[in-house]
Amino acid sequence: MQTNLEKSQIKKYLLLSILGTGFIMLLANFAGQEVRTLITNLLYVPVPGALVVLSIIIAVRFSVKGEHGRAWILFVGVSVSWFIAEQIWLVNDLVYHIDPFPSLADFFYLAGYPFLFLFSIYYLKPVKGAISKKTLTYVSLTAITLLVPSLYMASGQDSQISDFELALALSYPIADGIVLIPALIGVILFFRGEVNFLWSLICIAIILNVVADTGFLITSMNGSYYMGHPIDMLFLWAYILFSFGVYSHIQIFKKHHPHIKSQSIDDLR
Amino acid sequence: MFDATNGEISKALVTLAIEKTLLNMGKPVLDEVAHRLFTNYKCFIPDCHEHPEYLKSVLKELYGNCYSNIVESIKKSLDEFATKKSIEHFLMVISE
Repeated sequence: MQTNLEKSQIKKYLLLSILGTGFIMLLANFAGQEVRTLITNLLYVPVPGALVVLSIIIAVRFSVKGEHGRAWILFVGVSVSWFIAEQIWLVNDLVYHIDPFPSLADFFYLAGYPFLFLFSIYYLKPVKGAISKKTLTYVSLTAITLLVPSLYMASGQDSQISDFELALALSYPIADGIVLIPALIGVILFFRGEVNFLWSLICIAIILNVVADTGFLITSMNGSYYMGHPIDMLFLWAYILFSFGVYSHIQIFKKHHPHIKSQSIDDLR
Repeated sequence: MFDATNGEISKALVTLAIEKTLLNMGKPVLDEVAHRLFTNYKCFIPDCHEHPEYLKSVLKELYGNCYSNIVESIKKSLDEFATKKSIEHFLMVISE
């Protein structure tokens, strides 16, 4: 069972991780381009890596059975896809020194989105009674409204890029718009006081990831993006929020001593 | 031969409905609910038949105020027995 002390400790470590990553990125930005590129790329190993480990732990705990089990298996799909994508990006950038867009990394980034959307549907399922049609309509309209400028920017890219690259660039805002709907619902439930902060961390992480994606799109469009840009901090923070969201579930659904289950339907026979 | 009273049958039905609903969500959910019931109220899942408020409180702890979908699922499982007085009481308290 997750006590108030454990909850406040999780929040404390979350804050420390966010500040720590921000501080490392800040220092890296003062240390010159090479160091900044190296440190930022290397941060994408342990941060998404921790998410993979945590998501596997929770998926194994639920062992594929039940709605939660299916949800966490889908989440493993997200974390593994994005981890592979980050590693491909890192190798392209640090080892081969080639532009990581478009590359195989994009395939893995995009592959994570259907998993993330399905996961969020399962994640919201236990609380779907609290989601009204009105909320769903408003949230969908908000997501579409936010999607339009991103699509406009992505489609207005350099005319020299190929159709494939254009389709790839357009895929991100569309995927972001889709995953934004359940994420916004989760955050609305939190602000209504229907669910707690730790539960809503995963939804906040999705929103932060969408913000980072949009920021990445804008900075890439105007040519101001570089590895180690503050936008990267948002991506890393999104991974950290995801990790703490998953970790809080691991804490909630700890393994218990079997004696507690000793009286169940079998004892009534 | 097992001769069960009406109360025992109701208790078994309620227990089955709770366990089935929670197992559908995942075994760790059932384990956690059982654990919290025992830790907070020194009771087991079958005791929720007499004390639905305990189950309600544990579900609220786990899922905040949005546990209604779980309650709906339990209600659905017990739908055809809802006219039994003790089950009716259980459903009434848990749905409040």
